[in-house]
Amino acid sequence: MSAIIQINQLVKDFGPVRALDGLDMTVQSGEVAAFLGPNGAGKSTTIRVLLGLLKADSGSAALLGGDPWRDAVALHRRLVYVPGEVTLWPQLTGGEAIDVLHRLRSNASGPRRGELIERFELDPSKKCRTYSKGNRQKVALIAALSSDVELYVLEEPTSGLDPLMEVVFTDRVRELRDEGRTVLLSSHILAEVEKLCDTVTIRNGQTVQAGRLEELRHLTRSHVVATVRQDPTGLARIEGVHDFEVLEEGEISFTLDRDRTSDVMKALAALDLLGVTSNPPSLEELFLRQYTSDGTSR
Amino acid sequence: MSGCTGLWPLLRLALRRDRIRLPVWLLALAFMTFYFANAIQIGYPDEADLEAIVGFMNSPAGTVMSGPGYGWDHPTHATTFAGAYALYLHLGAAFMAILLVSRHTRAEEEAGRLELVRAAEVGRHAPLVATGILSVGASVILGVLSALFLIPAGYGAVGSWLFGMSMAMVAVVFGAIALVTAQLSEHARSATGLASLAIGLAVAIRGTGDVLEPHGSWLSWLSPLAWAQQTRVFYDDRWWPLLLGIVLAGGVFALASRLHARRDLGAGLLATGVGSTRAPRHLRTPFALAFRLERGAILGWSGALFVLGALYGGLTNSVQSSLGDLDNDLVIDALGGDPTQMVNGYLATCVLFNAYVVLCYAVVAAHRLVIEERDGRAEVALAATVSRPRWLLASFATALLGALVALAAAGIGMGTTAALVTGQAGHFRDVLSGTLYYLPAIAVLLGVAVVGFALRPAWLNLAWIAVVFAMVTGYLGFALDLPDPVMDLSPLSHIAQVPLETQEPLPLVMLTAIAAALLAIALVRFRSRDLTTG
Repeated sequence: MSAIIQINQLVKDFGPVRALDGLDMTVQSGEVAAFLGPNGAGKSTTIRVLLGLLKADSGSAALLGGDPWRDAVALHRRLVYVPGEVTLWPQLTGGEAIDVLHRLRSNASGPRRGELIERFELDPSKKCRTYSKGNRQKVALIAALSSDVELYVLEEPTSGLDPLMEVVFTDRVRELRDEGRTVLLSSHILAEVEKLCDTVTIRNGQTVQAGRLEELRHLTRSHVVATVRQDPTGLARIEGVHDFEVLEEGEISFTLDRDRTSDVMKALAALDLLGVTSNPPSLEELFLRQYTSDGTSR
Repeated sequence: MSGCTGLWPLLRLALRRDRIRLPVWLLALAFMTFYFANAIQIGYPDEADLEAIVGFMNSPAGTVMSGPGYGWDHPTHATTFAGAYALYLHLGAAFMAILLVSRHTRAEEEAGRLELVRAAEVGRHAPLVATGILSVGASVILGVLSALFLIPAGYGAVGSWLFGMSMAMVAVVFGAIALVTAQLSEHARSATGLASLAIGLAVAIRGTGDVLEPHGSWLSWLSPLAWAQQTRVFYDDRWWPLLLGIVLAGGVFALASRLHARRDLGAGLLATGVGSTRAPRHLRTPFALAFRLERGAILGWSGALFVLGALYGGLTNSVQSSLGDLDNDLVIDALGGDPTQMVNGYLATCVLFNAYVVLCYAVVAAHRLVIEERDGRAEVALAATVSRPRWLLASFATALLGALVALAAAGIGMGTTAALVTGQAGHFRDVLSGTLYYLPAIAVLLGVAVVGFALRPAWLNLAWIAVVFAMVTGYLGFALDLPDPVMDLSPLSHIAQVPLETQEPLPLVMLTAIAAALLAIALVRFRSRDLTTG
């Protein structure tokens, strides 16, 4: 595997505002990579630097083995992009807009154009000005996902799509992964990321957590609910137990550092354990934990 | 050159998007050329008629409004056309070019479509170069069409071609300037505004320069509009002033590409400042919101009108000397019909001219209604506890208030300088009151605008037809000898030419009543139509 995207210590300022302050990020070939972060975390800025639309102030960014600023045109031949907020030319029909987007790159549309229009249930004969947000999104997605390229950069790709269309989108991304294409997807919809993505980069201000989804889960805590006969309050003092709560008589809940599982389970067993459930952290929790930058959830 | 990859598909896209708008502009301007060239042959058949109009154009006010004028000792239809009307055709060409450039550069960037385009296999400079080619191409076609439409008027082929190419030159120059302003501001509206300001400056510079000396002074030569006039078309056809335009346009294009290369996508070179984090206490009604949004435009137009008025007023003294020795009945008619009241006639003409500008501003301000509805902001307001009549009334009132401020600014500017240079304080009162009397007439035209809008958004443009009618009857009515009932249809014709005449109160009351009635119709009608959404 080779790195399709390699970003080191990227800095970008807009006047006095620092949008990116030393970002690192790697996406390997053939991965479906998610890029998560709250609004204003610099996701779009990063993507625009990768597309050569913004010039980085310092640090380095390599895309498909080239320099995104210097080699922009040559690199764009090998990728497609769907922006978060899709605006189209109001006078053009949806079908015309798809063709225009294809013609703006030399390896134009494939046979998939018709197939995807059908799958996304788009009426390509309507003018773009009459489309709803979801339909404009479909136009951009059809143009992108029907292209035969190495890298697909999708910003909030399912915003505005209904659940059925989200399924169509998910299926298509899986097909692309099976063909060995690389996808970078910035999103807020965790269920989608959990379903689709191999790796996650989470970004909040300067802190970045990155890795394979399973690895990230490993680093974090499980949520444990247990029922015991004896007084459980002593558990709260054991190392590795957090957010300890007594729910009702005998029922307790806490979060558990995974590397302390063995010790804590022994202590639980000693309390006359009646039942226990332990859930791995959902991406949701992972996400919230990384986003709350104050110390409470550490 | 990889910087321009994708040029051809971008040009095709631009042409596809403009396949209606651009031909309409080109044909409309070419037709205006055709119309003016032929209308003056019908309107002023004899040389005596021409001498009349030329005499007026030779006065300082006429010079500011037209140009230096060549061959006017024995005016022909061709030289009268070139001297008196060409400026307006040149202005049309300039506006065509800046709107075209703005629409294809900053507006695309602001809407986010350029991001989509640039993420494709499109060179960094391709969109800029494509717009440049489109602008130059459209300008040249405009020039050719104008020439072809002018030849049937019988003014001579060489001069017709020279005139056509001067139209093209003006359009190319201002297209290039708009390409620079598109780099400066983040917003298409401000980019267009800055380019319009450049046109305004060019008008003012050549106007002042031409008044300083007959056939233009050194100052005139600083204005690209003057170069078009200095071709002395139909009199002493000179091609070389067009070269100045080509050189300037080349330099300005180079500047635009330099600026473009230095900035990020979406960014402007003029920074957008930070504002308040809370809305001020008074910003709680639809009117307060509409006024807040229109504030910048009101200040801009009022400032420009103040300067324009001050310029006219400052020329008051020179009117007497240049018109004093004229004994031409038609000029005197044009200026109010009384040779002893030359100054008053001049002032009244300038007041009318300022009122035209304010009138245009008021209708532009009313266009906010269409934009708010199209962009979905009307939906947001009307989904809150704002009734439709209240929302419509807010924009009407704002446009009217803007017109009042602009009229006052023009009146104060012109009245002050007129009083200062003549030493007669009475001019201030006359000019200011004379200017303000136009407000009820403007209210009537605004009423037409809102009634049109209430029926269907695009019908707000009915107001422009009314505006053009009012201007044509006001500007040319005396020469065209239109019957009174036709003249009376124009609300402006009911306003007295103060200080030449005195204003009776009755017409003002009547106009106010008509405006109120139109507004009432609009308020009722607007409640029963669908809102355009999506």
